[in-house]
Amino acid sequence: MKVIKIDKAQWTKGLDALREGYRLYGPVKEKEIACFRELADGQTPDSEIKNTRLSPKSLVFPQSEAMMAYSLDKNDDEQGICKEVPKDYSPRAVLGIRPCDAKAMVLVRMNFDNGDYRDPYWLNLYEATTFVGMACDNPCSTCFCTTAGCGPYHEEGLDLLLSDQGDHYLAKVLSDKGQALAQKAGWTTEADGQPMESGKATAEGKITAAVETDRLRALDTLALHGADFWEDISFSCINCGTCTFVCPTCWCFDIQDEVYGKKGVRMRNWDSCMFPIFTVHTTGHNPRDTKLQRLRQRFMHKLKYFVDKYDKGIMCVGCGRCVQQCPVNIDIRKVSHAMNSLDAENFCAVQGK
Amino acid sequence: MKNLLEHMGVEADRLHFSWISSAESTKFVKVVTEITEKVKAIGPNQHFVKQAAKVA
Amino acid sequence: MTAYTEKIREIAQRLLKECKVEMVIGFRAGTMPMMNEPCFIRKPDQADQLVWDSNCGINLANYLTNRKEGKIGIVAKGCDSRNIVNHILENKIQRDQVVVIGVPCLGMIDKRKITRETEGEILAVTETDGKVSVQTAGGETTFDKADVLQSNCRVCTHRNPVIHDEMAGDPVAEQTDVDPYADVKAIEAMSTEDKWNFFDELLSPCIRCYACRNACPLCYCPTCFVDESKPQWVGKSQDPLDIRTFHFLRAYHCAGRCTDCGACERACPVGINMRVLTKKLNKDCLEQYGWEAGLSLDSRPALDIYNPNDPDEFIK
Repeated sequence: MKVIKIDKAQWTKGLDALREGYRLYGPVKEKEIACFRELADGQTPDSEIKNTRLSPKSLVFPQSEAMMAYSLDKNDDEQGICKEVPKDYSPRAVLGIRPCDAKAMVLVRMNFDNGDYRDPYWLNLYEATTFVGMACDNPCSTCFCTTAGCGPYHEEGLDLLLSDQGDHYLAKVLSDKGQALAQKAGWTTEADGQPMESGKATAEGKITAAVETDRLRALDTLALHGADFWEDISFSCINCGTCTFVCPTCWCFDIQDEVYGKKGVRMRNWDSCMFPIFTVHTTGHNPRDTKLQRLRQRFMHKLKYFVDKYDKGIMCVGCGRCVQQCPVNIDIRKVSHAMNSLDAENFCAVQGK
Repeated sequence: MKNLLEHMGVEADRLHFSWISSAESTKFVKVVTEITEKVKAIGPNQHFVKQAAKVA
Repeated sequence: MTAYTEKIREIAQRLLKECKVEMVIGFRAGTMPMMNEPCFIRKPDQADQLVWDSNCGINLANYLTNRKEGKIGIVAKGCDSRNIVNHILENKIQRDQVVVIGVPCLGMIDKRKITRETEGEILAVTETDGKVSVQTAGGETTFDKADVLQSNCRVCTHRNPVIHDEMAGDPVAEQTDVDPYADVKAIEAMSTEDKWNFFDELLSPCIRCYACRNACPLCYCPTCFVDESKPQWVGKSQDPLDIRTFHFLRAYHCAGRCTDCGACERACPVGINMRVLTKKLNKDCLEQYGWEAGLSLDSRPALDIYNPNDPDEFIK
């Protein structure tokens, strides 16, 4: 894999060159809140930001997205016909996405692009995007990527991986898209990638937090489902959508129409399995109408059902956002420990003992 | 409600309350005329109007 | 406030041992700096889990209702206790179902303020004698607790629990030289256009997670107005008007009931201070009806009853 050296003095010049071919996005501070936004002319991604409040999933999966529009005007020839809303899928680049968030997109893609279904909205945005990652040399104390299937220098989902070397970046080219971007920016000086290898080892050593997942695959689903720790864990949950909204691997959405007199739009909005009405049926029946059921479902999905279905590890990349932002401090590391250490041998799924 | 709307930036004269019985037709006409004049004086509502959802 | 921890544990243990309650709701230590997790205990030997410090800003009265237990013990600071009174007045729980372990409160610290004023990631926060020490990889900073109080605690005039069956400490002096409505007055002084823009700015980071609504003890409607679909009252998207309508109407539903506990602001993942809406209503209630929520079990809330002297200059 080719490694390129980018002098920091050349960084802004490179970005300006890129603007001719790409819409640029990166982490910036908006009134103290770190988030991913489109970079204005002359704006550079903020390299001080470690972890954004919300994940960059909204770049390919906006929180509210109009999908189709239609006219309800009887005089209109096209009345009642749903038409796709024109979108801008011109090439774009995300500069400074962290490896965990990029890996998360790969996990989410398993849902939006499988043998049965392809989500055109998500895929069009994803495929139009070149992901330029920034390796984490100073992970947060809440990061546990190394035990969640990725790491501070992980390459899955990235087209280029940058590593800050002080007065320059080293950039590992990981795909044709990455190569094309580097070319466009005028970043062509090849360099030795060894500092990235040692940087990786150092960064991985700095990760202090962890999730325990080694027994999850083998544990009996019913035993986990019927375990007695769910009541204790779910008590404090207030069923808000914070964990699901900040999580880069959560993908649930709700589709609805909004009608304004003679026209309407069909849109989708992020939805959350923590919301009480998430599973309400048209009959009014709700299979998950208690807090315990919803919370249990969320953690079972992340740490068990996904593991069983895809055999690619847990549905979590260890970004730590849910841990940082849950208003009542429910911690996936604690839950994972409880699940992973369940003594299932002495458990009867029927009698609950 | 009136105070909260005003607090939020909707002009106070856009919301009016009146207690009118169906037998008080004169009062009804008077109140409606007054309200119409007051609202017209402020002009069309620019802010608290949703034409279509402003979404991606 | 660590002395409270010992007393709370002792009381909880005693209540459970003597079977006065089936569970005690309190806080246990969190896994993150400045965070505690609401929890419950059922056995006397679990009492050692309970803690109390200046990070107990979430309102535990939120967990009190719709429970199947017959008798519940609950740790409650000043504002929480007023919400318990409110719950009783609104028939969500009976007085004899609750055993209130009252905590005279000296204020909760504002984790966002501390984070803002600290360089680098915060690893640990400890409090001793009115000083808050914040540890980062780069060293330690100390703040005066008075400078980093939550904004509602800074102007609190009801620090002592208004009802209690047990007390975790001696009553503290109530603050008298504070203006609880200074921020509301500042907004009232703005022009209409400025007010509109102020709220536009304030609510722009909202992600409709509903943490504010769910952390609020007053928000207990089986189906919230934002979740209604037949008919749908408010859009569920990120449209700024829909976001504004949600906050505005939620505040309105809390009119005359809000105790300014600050749980909403504390729970919000993007730190929105939506209390400027509820406080405006609290101020109006106080000025027009002489009413503050949850102070006494004996009087009905102002918006619950009619008094011929009720102000009516707004209606023709």
